[in-house]
Amino acid sequence: MNVVDDPGAQNALSFNAIRQSFPGLAGEAPLPVLSDISFHVPRGRFVSVIGPSGCGKSTLIQMAAGLLRPTGGRVFHNGVNITGVNRTIGFVPQQAQLLPWKTMIENVEFPLLLRGVKPAERRARAQEAIDKVDLSGFESHYSHQLSGGMQKRVSIARMLVYKPDTILMDEPFGALDAQTRMVMQHDLQVMLASEGASVLFVTHDITEAVMLSDSVIIMSRRPARVLAEVSIDLPRPRDMFEPHTIPGFAEAYDRVWSIFRSELNVKRAA
Amino acid sequence: MSEQLTAHAAGTRSLRRTLMSFGRALLLAAPGAVMLCGWQFASGRLVREAYISKPTDIARRLYELFATGEIWPSLKVTGQELVLSYVIGVASGLLIGYALGRSPRVARIVEPYVMAFYGIPKIALAPLFIIWFGIGIWSKVVLAGTMVFFLVFYNVYAGVRAIDREVVNLALVLGANERQLSRHIYLPAAAPFLLMGMRMAIPYAVIGVIVGEFTSSTAGLGLFINYASSTYDPASVFAGIFILLAFVMIMNALASRLERRLLRWRPSAQGVVQEAT
Repeated sequence: MNVVDDPGAQNALSFNAIRQSFPGLAGEAPLPVLSDISFHVPRGRFVSVIGPSGCGKSTLIQMAAGLLRPTGGRVFHNGVNITGVNRTIGFVPQQAQLLPWKTMIENVEFPLLLRGVKPAERRARAQEAIDKVDLSGFESHYSHQLSGGMQKRVSIARMLVYKPDTILMDEPFGALDAQTRMVMQHDLQVMLASEGASVLFVTHDITEAVMLSDSVIIMSRRPARVLAEVSIDLPRPRDMFEPHTIPGFAEAYDRVWSIFRSELNVKRAA
Repeated sequence: MSEQLTAHAAGTRSLRRTLMSFGRALLLAAPGAVMLCGWQFASGRLVREAYISKPTDIARRLYELFATGEIWPSLKVTGQELVLSYVIGVASGLLIGYALGRSPRVARIVEPYVMAFYGIPKIALAPLFIIWFGIGIWSKVVLAGTMVFFLVFYNVYAGVRAIDREVVNLALVLGANERQLSRHIYLPAAAPFLLMGMRMAIPYAVIGVIVGEFTSSTAGLGLFINYASSTYDPASVFAGIFILLAFVMIMNALASRLERRLLRWRPSAQGVVQEAT
């Protein structure tokens, strides 16, 4: 894997030699979290990052969003070095983080409101995004009146509404139950097919990573480095509900798992 | 046919609801009624009437006070002091609490001082305020306003600081600038805390005003009560106290209405809204 200094325009996101350490407790040395991470998210591709919990996967998302400056190295979005809050990127956080004092449609409109879009256009575009995530009929509900899966859909609609070319998703389906998660994965695939956006997706679920991605980055334990990048060439659309019936799924899963397992201290069954 | 049925069902439902709310009001009034009856009975039998007066005398005195217009000047002065101290206290508490909540660096320096002032029993300052601001309404406004200020200030300050950093970060990525952060994130998130502070401050505003008037004044309900008690007129004392009670209840009702409007989105407030419609 050859990392060039100037990532050019073919990559939506580029992480170049990223290092990150967090200040230690009083008197202790700083805690290194990421050591020399380099990879790209090519334009229009879906790239997942998996790794053991606490390895700093979410830190990469924070950096791409411009909420955290790396201790070393640089992050590029469409060839531009990220130095402040990145307002042009789409962000789906771990928790849905809807604003409880706004109704569902007001939450979806929120990014447009912040951009000074006129009310009529705002409504229309929000409605379009709401239809896309299949939530019409719940526009005037407050977030506490929506289920966890619905809240997640709203947070995706809120991201789609301003049509970002690049999307960050930080374990977005981690808190959902198994059925809801499968439905969301299926719907995400359908939505993204029509958007053509590039995605950086963080997860710790190998099946999810393999099923959604064009390529999977596997990270090591802390201080994390990139162990391997496995490209997934399964044909699309993929049937999220029955991964095991997809030819090639088992092999792809195995390739990821064989690298990933070395990081987990799994005791071999006798 | 089915329309008629549903109309009929709706009719019985609304009737039942009226009956239920009537029953609830009755239940609410019962302890008060029992207390008044007990008072009426005890007065002159268990306790000397000169100590506790009795409800019928108090009611007569209240009627008299309003019928002759004797109470109006006192009411006007105390009402003015209450409204001014409350409005000034809430406004300054909100402003400064919000500003300090948004600037943790300044807050770190200022907080110990505010804490120290908060610890002073404001009542002890009443004589000083009289010297500084005279025996007119302003000494009372400052005394009560200070008490209101601290309660609102602390609640708003705590509310702003309690906001989830991740929500703020998300809003930034979604495109919010500082002004939009205040308008759409910080202020709505602090609103429940503001309202709690406002509710807590209502009785303190009354205490501040009355203590101020007790200390030294030329007019007001506090003076009226003070005068009545020094002339052994318990009916007038209680009449004054009932008027103060009415003040507090009116202010509470106003605060509740404001709360229902501002916190429509809260799960707890939701039930109330649905019931009202």
